[in-house]
Amino acid sequence: MSNVTRTWKLNGKSVTVRAPAGRRLLDVLRDDLGLTGSKESCGEGECGACTVLVDDEPMVSCLIPVGQLPNGTEILTIEGIARKAAGRVIQQAYIECGAVQCGFCIPGMVVSSYALLQRNPKPSTRAIRDALAGNLCRCTGYAKIIQAVKLAATRLAKRTR
Amino acid sequence: MKNIEKIAFQFPTTLAAALRLQANEKTRGKLLAGGTDLMVQWASGVPTPERVTSLWNLPEISAIRVLADHVEIGAGVTHAFLVDCQPLRTHVPALVAAAGTVGAKQIQARGTLGGNVANASPAGDTAPALLVTDGTVVLASQAGEREVSLSQFWTGYRQIAARPDEIIVAFRLPKRGKARERFRKIGTRRAQAISKVMAASRIRVEKGVIVSAAIALGSVAPTPVRLTQVEQFLAGKKLTPALIAEAEKLAQTTVQPIADIRSTAEYRRWASGRLVRDALEHL
Repeated sequence: MSNVTRTWKLNGKSVTVRAPAGRRLLDVLRDDLGLTGSKESCGEGECGACTVLVDDEPMVSCLIPVGQLPNGTEILTIEGIARKAAGRVIQQAYIECGAVQCGFCIPGMVVSSYALLQRNPKPSTRAIRDALAGNLCRCTGYAKIIQAVKLAATRLAKRTR
Repeated sequence: MKNIEKIAFQFPTTLAAALRLQANEKTRGKLLAGGTDLMVQWASGVPTPERVTSLWNLPEISAIRVLADHVEIGAGVTHAFLVDCQPLRTHVPALVAAAGTVGAKQIQARGTLGGNVANASPAGDTAPALLVTDGTVVLASQAGEREVSLSQFWTGYRQIAARPDEIIVAFRLPKRGKARERFRKIGTRRAQAISKVMAASRIRVEKGVIVSAAIALGSVAPTPVRLTQVEQFLAGKKLTPALIAEAEKLAQTTVQPIADIRSTAEYRRWASGRLVRDALEHL
């Protein structure tokens, strides 16, 4: 076993963690730091429920050993996104479109939606489907989720104009 | 404590330091890049190694160089980085297309080209696209660098031609020039699916005649394979519907796929032919 100490910028704040290097980022977030918004569903990188942004890139936190994230890494979880204006717009759009049923996949969906809209403020349906292809939902059938991302994109475009 | 947490991790910050660790049996670790294959295996109960040497974020293996007649892609380059690299779309478009079919965005952001090749799965998405370039793998050790042809790199099911002290550092891939490339992957859905069969091709046609043809398939043999018989059959021939039909049939008779949880041998054989047809119909 090898313990590592890492200082990251987590949801905008400096956080220092000490953990076995192989401990999954997901476990550090949920169990050590109490950030239970990121969900564990498959635990093998398939479902996207544990998606977080690492230096602005969506990644599944169940496949990241924390030792691989050097000091200074910027991590944004659903808790951090929910505090951002754009994050709130996306969440509201999901609610209004009825895009949430059981809700377990939604934190990951919102993180992926946020990552997409940061990079591509006017995404096509194809781009939305591509961006969310790594987030599986067993309830909704995706149609309303795609609608929600479109609604969020429209509202965000109005705000920045 | 989970098994993964018991592993002794090493985080070299330079390639030289990583090579030094790998040179000595006492410090050598299982090489880990983005973890999109190994972390999954370890989570599912595959025995974990005692030591791991992390190659994630090693600057020396993370660059893309576009040179006169070939491109050099660092082994640590992620699929996401490949997909966003405009010059590669021009020079090795099948590889870019293949990288775009790996998992989904989250996996593409972590999985690396070197990792995909080292994992040596017959279903590795980038393998057929690499094979049709006639390129090489650059291996480094403390003894120096050597190049191994990609066509000789996968030596058996999940086996590669690298020594235990070696690290894959880059891929040297000749540009396609005037040849056309194509990549198709058949899986149960577009994202997050491991392929049933996939094909990459690099074919050059001049005045209606096939000057050169490189066609590779994945998931039809213990390793990714080039369809040399089909390639030889096509070379020098005029591209006609009759020729395409013959090539399709030849491909179906030369592959020896197996049945497994993802597909049947019969379907894979049939689809192999269809993919060859698809490549020839899009020239």
